[in-house]
Amino acid sequence: MTDMQAAPAASPTAPAPGPGKVPGKAPAGPWARMRRRSLRHGGVMFGAIVLLGFIAMAFLAPLLAPHDPLSQSLSTRLIDPFWGAKPHPDHLLGTDQLGRDYLSRMIYGARISLTIGLVAMVISGVIGTAMGVAAGYFGGRIDHFVTFVVTTRLSMPVILVALAVVAVAGSSLTVVVLVLGFLLWDRFAVVMRSATRQVRDHEYVAAAQALGMPVSRIVMSEILPNVLGALIVVATLEMAHAILLEAALSFLGLGVQPPTPSWGLMVSEGRKAMFFKPWLIAIPGAALFVLVLAINLLGDGLRDVMAPEGRS
Amino acid sequence: MLGFLLKRAALALAVAVTVSIISFLLLRASGDIAVAVAGEGATEADIEAIRIQFGFDRPLIVQYFEWAGNALTGDLGQSVYFRVPVVELIGERMPVTMGLGALALVFAVALSIPLGVAAALRPNSIIDRLSLWIAVLGQAMPSFWFALLLMLVMGVWWRWLPISGAGGFDHYIMPAIALGYYATPAIMRLTRAGMIEVLESDYIRTAHAKGLGTGKVLFKHALRNAVIPVVSLAAVQFGFMLSGSIVIESIFALPGVGHLAWISLQRSDFTVVQGIVLMLSVIYILMALVADLFNAWLDPRIRVA
Amino acid sequence: MTTFLAQRSARRALLGAAAAAALAAPLTPALAGKADDTLTFAFEQEVEALNFYQSTSRDGVILSRLIWDTLIWRDPYTGDYKPLLATSWTWVDNVTIDFELREGVTFHNGETFDADDVVFTFNYFPSPEAKTKSQQTVSWIKGAEKLGDYKVRLHLKNPFPAALEFLASPLPIYPDEYMAEVGQDGMEKNPIGTGPYKVANVVRGETIEFVKNDGYFPNDAKGAPQIGKLVMRTLPDKNTQLAELMTGGIDWMWKVEVDQAEGLRSMPDLTVVDAETMRIGYLGFDAAGTSGDHPLTNVKVRQALSHAIDRQAIVDNLFPGGARVVNSACFPEQFGCEQDVTAYDHDPEKARALLAEAGFPDGFDMTLDVYRNREMAEAMIGDLAKVGVDATMNYGKYAAIRDAVRSGGSQAGYLTWGSNSIGDISASTSVFFKGGADDIYQDPEVTEWLTTGDTSTDPEVRKDVYSKALKKIAAEAYWLPLWSYPYTYAFTSDLDFTPTSDEIPHFALARWK
Repeated sequence: MTDMQAAPAASPTAPAPGPGKVPGKAPAGPWARMRRRSLRHGGVMFGAIVLLGFIAMAFLAPLLAPHDPLSQSLSTRLIDPFWGAKPHPDHLLGTDQLGRDYLSRMIYGARISLTIGLVAMVISGVIGTAMGVAAGYFGGRIDHFVTFVVTTRLSMPVILVALAVVAVAGSSLTVVVLVLGFLLWDRFAVVMRSATRQVRDHEYVAAAQALGMPVSRIVMSEILPNVLGALIVVATLEMAHAILLEAALSFLGLGVQPPTPSWGLMVSEGRKAMFFKPWLIAIPGAALFVLVLAINLLGDGLRDVMAPEGRS
Repeated sequence: MLGFLLKRAALALAVAVTVSIISFLLLRASGDIAVAVAGEGATEADIEAIRIQFGFDRPLIVQYFEWAGNALTGDLGQSVYFRVPVVELIGERMPVTMGLGALALVFAVALSIPLGVAAALRPNSIIDRLSLWIAVLGQAMPSFWFALLLMLVMGVWWRWLPISGAGGFDHYIMPAIALGYYATPAIMRLTRAGMIEVLESDYIRTAHAKGLGTGKVLFKHALRNAVIPVVSLAAVQFGFMLSGSIVIESIFALPGVGHLAWISLQRSDFTVVQGIVLMLSVIYILMALVADLFNAWLDPRIRVA
Repeated sequence: MTTFLAQRSARRALLGAAAAAALAAPLTPALAGKADDTLTFAFEQEVEALNFYQSTSRDGVILSRLIWDTLIWRDPYTGDYKPLLATSWTWVDNVTIDFELREGVTFHNGETFDADDVVFTFNYFPSPEAKTKSQQTVSWIKGAEKLGDYKVRLHLKNPFPAALEFLASPLPIYPDEYMAEVGQDGMEKNPIGTGPYKVANVVRGETIEFVKNDGYFPNDAKGAPQIGKLVMRTLPDKNTQLAELMTGGIDWMWKVEVDQAEGLRSMPDLTVVDAETMRIGYLGFDAAGTSGDHPLTNVKVRQALSHAIDRQAIVDNLFPGGARVVNSACFPEQFGCEQDVTAYDHDPEKARALLAEAGFPDGFDMTLDVYRNREMAEAMIGDLAKVGVDATMNYGKYAAIRDAVRSGGSQAGYLTWGSNSIGDISASTSVFFKGGADDIYQDPEVTEWLTTGDTSTDPEVRKDVYSKALKKIAAEAYWLPLWSYPYTYAFTSDLDFTPTSDEIPHFALARWK
C-alpha cells in the first residue's frame, strides 16, 4: 500500500487526561500547547482567519448579498466590475451573461463550496476512519481486506469515475456530494490505519482489553481521542480536495447545475467570454483558489503544530 | 522476498479484476446506449439494428464475461462511435498522454526538488517558508482555472505559445505546467523531509568531518539518498496525472487518452470509457507495484509489514 | 503525402518516446491562411467515420461534400435542383426515376465513373449487409438497375415525395471497383470519391487534410474548387477555437456564441456573419401525462407557460444575431409550414391568470430537460419563476434526454430539431406528431392529417392538412416553438465565404479574396 502524500500520522500525544481534572501544571496539557503554537503559526492563523471569513460569508449570505443571486435581467447583462470600463454602482463586481449580480453570486457560491467540502469530508471521513481504525485495530484479515479496498479505490482514476457516475446518476448537488464523499475516503483510511496501529500497542489499550471492555468502547474512548490530531489534518486536506473536485466537475458541466451559483460553474459559464471579459473567470477562480489555499495552509499548519517536537 | 512479491502481485491482480467489474457495471447503468450511438436523426429501426449488432440485448453477466475474457487477450471491444477497436483508439492517443504526463512530471520534479533541497538546508528559514508557499500555491490552484489563465496570458495576450493541439513540443508546455504544478507540494515535502533526515545522519556528518566541500556532500551523498523515496512517489504521481489529464487535455485540445475519455463519456461511447478506466487503473496498479517492490528492495523492514 | 506521413509519425514518435528528447527539437506549426493557400477550419467533434455511410453526424455530411458527389445538387443559395453526376432525371411513375449520367468523370484513384457505380451504391447500401448507420437515408430505396453505360433506373419502395431531396444530400456515389477491392474498411482508411477535394492525411482526433482535386469535372453546380488545401482541426471547446482564431491558428469557425461574437466583431482582420439554418428550438410538454399526472397535462397550464416565456428578449439578447421567434412546430420556410397559428406573446399577467384558472394560483414545481444552450434554458427558467412556476433544470446528454422524452420520463424538454436540412415539413412536424417513436402526444387527428400530407403528391392537399395539424398543435400548446437557430460564422477577412441555411459550410465553394 503506497501511502502517498502521506499526512504523517501525528504521534499520539500522552494518554487522554481523565475527565474533569487536568494533571500537572496548567499549560502542560497537549491541547493548550497546541493552541499556543497555533497562535504563533502564520499558516494556521492565515488559514483559520480566511476560512472563518468564508464561513461567515456563507452564513450571512442573505444579509451581505446586495441582490438575489438568481434574479436575472437580460437587458443588464455583462456589466463590468468596478475597475472596468463601464461599471455600474448597483453591481460592484458586474453582472453575468444573464444579468445576475456577480457579487451576490460569489457570496452565495461560498455556501455551495463549503457545503460540498464539509459534507463530502464528513462522509468520506466516516467511511475512511471506520475502515482505517478497523484495519489498524484488528489487523490480520480485516487489514488485508481494507488494504485491498483502498488499493482498488486508489487505482481508479478519480475524475473519470466521478464523471462517469454523475453522467449515469444525473447531476445535482446531492449526487455530487455523495460521489465525492464515496470517492475521497482513501487518505482517511490510510492515515487512520497507521495511527491506530501505533496506538493499539499502548499499555492503556491492553489494559482496557484486559478489563474486558467491549471493542466499541475501546475504540471510542481510547483509540479515537488519540488519533484525532491526524484525523483533523486529513479532514482539512480532503475538504480542500473535495472543493476542487466539485469545481472541476461543475466546470465540465457534470457537477452542480445552473442556476446554482457554484464557483466552478461560474468559471465554466464565464469562459465563453473570457478573452474579452477576463474578470468573469478571474473572480470565481480566485475565490476558489484563496479558499482552498486557506484550508490547505490550515491543515499543513495543524500538522506542524501537532508534531511533538516542533518542525524538523 | 519472493513471498512478498507474490503477495503483492496477487493483490494487484485482485484489484484489477475488481476494477474491471466496477467499470463495466458503472457504464452499463447509463440509459439506452443504442439511442446514443444512433445519433440525432436515427429512427427506431436504426436503434434496434445497433442494439443487436453490438449485443446490447443480451444479459449483463454474459456481456461482462465476454468483455473481460476478450480484455485478457488485449481486445477491449469496438468503439460504438468510431466502430474501430478500442485498443487501436487508445494506442493512437497514448503517446500524447504519456508525453504530457512525462513532461508534467519533469516540470514538477524540476520545480520541487530544488525547492525541497533549498528548504532542507535552512529549515524554518525564509527560504524554507517561501518554497513551501510556492508549492502550496500549486496545490490550491484549480487546474482548469490555471490552464485557462495560462491560455489567456501566454497564448492570447503574449502569443508566446500555441494555444491548442499537439503539433510540436511547444504545444505541450502550457498543459504540462497546468498539470504538473499540482504535484509539486507532495514531491517538495518529501524531498525536504528526506534531505533533513539524510543531512542529520551520521555519514553526512562524517563526510563533513572528512573535509568534503558542502556542494559535493550535498549532491553526491545527501541528494542521492534523499531522492530515492521521491522516485517511487513520482511513479505514483504519474498515475494521478494520467487521470488529471482529462481536464487539461480537453481544454488544450490535446488528442490524448484523457480527452478521448471525456468526449466518449459525452457521447455514451461506453466501450471506450470502460477501456480507458481499465487501462489507467492497470497502469496505476503496475506503477504502485513497481514502487512497492522498489521500496521493499531499499528497505527490508517493509517486506514483513 | 508519404513524406508528410513520415514526418507526422516521426513527430509522434518523438513526443511519445520521451518529452525530454523532444526538448531538442521544437516544431512550429505551419502558418495557415491565404499566404500558403491553406484554409484551416475547426469542428467541435471528430467525425465518427469518413466512410459516409457509417456516419450520422452533421460534420460527416459536410466533409462528404468535399470527397464525394451526389447525382443531384441542391443549390444552397437558391434551393434549385441542378445536375451533378446525373445530367438529367425523369420520373417514370411515382416509384421510378431514370437518370442520365455524366460522362468523363473519374474518381480520385482514376477509376471511371459510370452506371455501375450508381447501381452498386443504390443496391449495396440499402442492403442489411452494408450495415448503413442511418437507415432513414436508404430505407426508401428498393434498388437500381443499369439501363446503359450512362443510364440508370432507380426503384422506390413507396411513393416518396422527398426523394430528390435525399438524392441531393445523404447519398454520395461510391466507386464500385474500389469498393469490391477494399470494402467499407478500406474506404474508411483511404476514402475515394469524385469530389472536389481528396483526403491527403488523417491524424485521428486531430486533423484531416484535403487537397484540391485538380481533375475535378467541370460543372455548373459545385464549380471548380479554388483553395489549394483544406485542414479540418478537431477543437472540442468553442473557447479554444476562439483563441485559435484570434491568434491565427485557424481561419474559420462557426456556431460562435453571443459574447464571443461581440468581441470578434471588433477585430479588424475577422469577418463575422450570421446566417439562419433550418434548426428550430422548442419546448415539448408532456401533454398526455406519460411521465405521470402533473399540471402540464392541463392545456391552460401549457398556455400559461407559453405566455410566461419572453422568447423575444432571449432572441434579442442571447443570440449573436439573425434569430427570430417561431410559432409553428416547423421551420418557417419549410414546405407546408403554416404561419397563421396561435402565437403566444409574452404576457406574465395572462400567464398568472391562466394558472389561476387551471387551479394553480401559486404555481407548481416541474423539471425541464435540457441538452444544449444552458443559458437560454436558464433564462426560460427565470421567466417561469416570475409567474410562480419553479422549474428545475435537468441537463443531460442528447441521447439521454431524447430517451427520456420518448419513454415518457420527461415533463418538459428543451430540444432542437434541424430537419436534416430538408425543406419539407415531413422532415420536422411529422417526426414528432405522426404517431412515430418520437410522438408522445398520439393525437389521432393530427396523426391522420400528417399521414395524408406525407403521402399525397398534390401540393394544395398537403398544405391544407398541414395547416390544420399545425393549428391544432399550437392551440393545444403541445409544443412551445421557440426560435430559429442562426449560426454565427467568424473567419479571416481574406476569405470569401457565404454561409447557407442548410447547416453545411460549403468549403468547396469558398475562395480567397
